[in-house]
Amino acid sequence: MQDTLNLFVMNIGQWLSANLGTLNNPDQIIVEIARWLRTEFGNWGVVGFILANLMATVPLIAVFSGCFALTTWLERKGLGRIQNRYGPNRVGPYGLFQPMADGIKMLLKEDIVPERADKIGHFLAPVIIMIPAMTGLVFLPIGRNIIAASIDSALLFFFAIGSIVSLSVFMAGWASHNKFSLVGGMRAIAQLVSYEMPLILSAVVVVMFVGSMNTSVIVEAQQIKSWVTSDAPALQCLGQVLGWHVFQPWGLMGFLLLFVSALAEANRSPFDLPEADSEIIAGHLTEYSGFKYALFFLAEYVNTFAIIGICTTLFLGGWNGPNIRPPWSDDPQALLIPGFVWFFLKIFVLMGIMIWIRGTLPRLRIDQLMGFAWKFLLPLAIINLLVAGCFYHMEWYFGWPFSILILCKSYAIVVRLNKSKLVNSNRTYTYA
Amino acid sequence: MIITFCILSVFIIIGAVSTIRLHNIVYAVFSLMLLFSAIAGIFLLLMAEFVAVAQILIYLGAVGVLILFAVMLTHSVTGSSGKNIYSNGWGWGLLLSLSILFATLLPAIYFSDFPSDPAVEIIEPSVKKLGMEMMHSCVPAMWLIAILLTAALIGGIVIAAPPQKR
Repeated sequence: MQDTLNLFVMNIGQWLSANLGTLNNPDQIIVEIARWLRTEFGNWGVVGFILANLMATVPLIAVFSGCFALTTWLERKGLGRIQNRYGPNRVGPYGLFQPMADGIKMLLKEDIVPERADKIGHFLAPVIIMIPAMTGLVFLPIGRNIIAASIDSALLFFFAIGSIVSLSVFMAGWASHNKFSLVGGMRAIAQLVSYEMPLILSAVVVVMFVGSMNTSVIVEAQQIKSWVTSDAPALQCLGQVLGWHVFQPWGLMGFLLLFVSALAEANRSPFDLPEADSEIIAGHLTEYSGFKYALFFLAEYVNTFAIIGICTTLFLGGWNGPNIRPPWSDDPQALLIPGFVWFFLKIFVLMGIMIWIRGTLPRLRIDQLMGFAWKFLLPLAIINLLVAGCFYHMEWYFGWPFSILILCKSYAIVVRLNKSKLVNSNRTYTYA
Repeated sequence: MIITFCILSVFIIIGAVSTIRLHNIVYAVFSLMLLFSAIAGIFLLLMAEFVAVAQILIYLGAVGVLILFAVMLTHSVTGSSGKNIYSNGWGWGLLLSLSILFATLLPAIYFSDFPSDPAVEIIEPSVKKLGMEMMHSCVPAMWLIAILLTAALIGGIVIAAPPQKR
């Protein structure tokens, strides 16, 4: 035991002098530590295997749960600001410890299971909803070389895993043995299934353009390689920003479509019909209390983070940002600021936009919700697909005006069609 | 790897048996989901990630939701407990299936000559090759499927549209 410890300390010293002495790659420190730990664990047999696996998953769960806590505070503060009140300001400085107080409150609450409810289903639903939420995080490239699973069909896997959410939502709705829950569950499934189409179709554009479904490859394709490897810091800085897909006409369109569908897919306002308090008394969440309720919300926010992360990865350049190479480094790939700083910055900016939307937009009606997916987002996504295909094969001086013209024109036409009497006739109330 | 395989197989067997035996059809659907996800896990174990994704996307995502919608439209979710699941001929069925297992399947597995070396040296990403294949030799089939799906979508809209007022 003493020998092992001595060896361990010696190894740390060697590694520090080898890697950190020169600080060649300041953004790769975490990666290097992780790689070294993994080789160290390799000698420890089964324990090492388990430790190495935990090392890949535990930080993800911890960091994104922490982000969830921070976001609940941010959301309540932001909504308070919009509605001209203070928001939480009692627990800790600026009410920062409010999430902890909430968590303790949730843990101490009584766990009520309705007498006629299906006990197994009622218990399993919040457990199952955590699986897709946490699995989705695995495919996000958080920084350069920081990704839990860099697999070849990551994007497809992400959307496939996301379809399990509807299953657990239905399970919650059905097992509660409450008609509001069941109707809420059905509404949630209808919404999730409808919005999956524009969501995937607007993401496919990037796959067409990059030629890969691997998320790390997609992020690296959003750098202008010759600028990043050049010597001028200004060029290095610009090369990691101007290459983002959102700065191209099809990319801007795709980003907006993806973001709107992501709002619906994550049940965020203004598409939060399945769970809003005023709509069929919170739908499938009606019969849940205590920590099960908290689990649903945790899963929801983690899901939101995952889907925003995919938005960032596909269109906003992932971990790319206005970044320069450290002057003392001789590695052309080295970055001064670690990539995950930019990644989380972008995620929180998008989250802030979501909170802003929640504070200012009214909720949609259920028929407007469905119509919006099928009559507005879907046609635009398909047109965007076509435009991106043409843009790929055209010279830039021809492709830019062409795609801008087509996209603006088709947007105008779709809006006019949606407003005309042809599609949107007066609503007839059959059962109301 | 063998441990993972054993765990997944146990899940598959549990899922399959409970899908058939359970009286409550919602439970049956959920155990079917368990079966599907365990099969996806087996595909992942065999490094066929695309097939695993397709399994999750189609069976868990689409077929599962479809069955759930069908279940939501049925009246009695809990079937009458007891007799109708047991039929008189179950002994014969068991005998037949066991004899098929021992007479044909097990000998076939034992006496066939499996290559001990891996068939390819390096496992290349399969998705790109699959996509290339689909866009080259399978294009007519893809077109046909696209036309079929469009027709199905239009048919769905026609069925869902409100009846015309005279």
